[in-house]
Amino acid sequence: MSAAHSQNLNVLLQEIEGIHLTHHNPRRLRADIAAEALPALLALLRGRASYVHLSAISCVDWIEENQFELVYHLWSYETSVLISAHIRIPREPGIYLSVFDIYTPAAFFERDIHEMFGVYFEGSPDMSKFILTEWNGPPPMRKDFNSEKWVMETFSWQEYHPDWLKDLEEQGGGIVSTPESIRMDNK
Amino acid sequence: MSNTDLSNIEVNQKPVAKRSNPFANVFNELVSFCRSRSMFMLHYCTGCGAIELPPAMTSRFDMERLGIQPMVTPRQADILLITGYVSIKTLKRVILTYEQMGAPKYVIGICSCTVNGGMYWQSYATAKKLDEYIPVDLYIAGCMPRPEAVIEGLQQLMAKIKTDEANSWKKYYEHYDYYLGNQQHLFGNNWQTPTDIIGEAKTYQLEGPNTLGEHTKILESVQRPLEPLEMKL
Ligand code: SF4
Repeated sequence: MSAAHSQNLNVLLQEIEGIHLTHHNPRRLRADIAAEALPALLALLRGRASYVHLSAISCVDWIEENQFELVYHLWSYETSVLISAHIRIPREPGIYLSVFDIYTPAAFFERDIHEMFGVYFEGSPDMSKFILTEWNGPPPMRKDFNSEKWVMETFSWQEYHPDWLKDLEEQGGGIVSTPESIRMDNK
Repeated sequence: MSNTDLSNIEVNQKPVAKRSNPFANVFNELVSFCRSRSMFMLHYCTGCGAIELPPAMTSRFDMERLGIQPMVTPRQADILLITGYVSIKTLKRVILTYEQMGAPKYVIGICSCTVNGGMYWQSYATAKKLDEYIPVDLYIAGCMPRPEAVIEGLQQLMAKIKTDEANSWKKYYEHYDYYLGNQQHLFGNNWQTPTDIIGEAKTYQLEGPNTLGEHTKILESVQRPLEPLEMKL
């Protein structure tokens, strides 16, 4: 049954221009498409196939290629197939369209991505701060944000050298690489 | 971050005049003993370490045999248990909670994460040394400490209370400027809490030379009077 479904689905998907499909296995389909074609693909999957569940949007920062990759994970309860639609957008200025009108839960994921990566979604209902309400720095999940450096500049450490460790050290054991030596590399 | 390291500073104890009457301190000792034997614990379950508390509280390890009971509100609690990593967002709430507790109050940091950030040491979102922001009486290290360790730690705290050594809450009043400075460092200079710590320090007569300083000056300049919350139906 599900094989027949994917046959029909394949025919449907060919309507989208420039789509590249990869079948990882019968229940996983990867679709690479151009960023402009994504809304059409989502509208098709939601309206004419049974992909009613947008389970997540994830973002990957390809800093060397100066691109963000957005992955839309779509699930069908009828065929039990997971489709992931991959698009690439330029890192600067990092603006893309919201798919809130097709899938309402997208508002939640887009707000999260906006906070963590700084990608702005045009037409998303709310782009204000979400989880990191106390955070004023750059979007922390971007590859060019050096979390360790920020930590070194913001926090200090306390000595932790318990007695049982001293006993071990006397016998020649102990910690091989201390936290200090690891942290110092990044100072 | 302020440079002074408070970990080695002892709380200034007013010198107690030695009295010849053997019964002179009996009342104080009785109070300390009773205090150590009836503790209400507010467990602020910040991280994964909280998972060891249900066994510690219930029949297997049974904290109540030591006179320790969970309490639901900060105003009625004596011990604040921080059970794991504190994100910067949580830290704000922890400080608000701590300041609302009535003195004498004790703080226990459970888990390595409260000592130095634990496995989140390089995370931008978690605070590292808990005792930079509120004074901590006792740390129980481990990722996560077993209920035996928690109970052991609580017993140590009881012993400290009995001998009047658990005085970290006084440290908060005496060195308020230091703690406030670290809090402002994370939350920005607009940071203020509804509790008037300086006023409380005066009431408890715990105002020291370090209670006021540059950071409390900033606080005074930005402090807004509290407004009632808007009521909505
Ligand atoms: S020390 Fe380990 S168990 Fe405790 S909060 Fe940190 S990660 Fe969790």
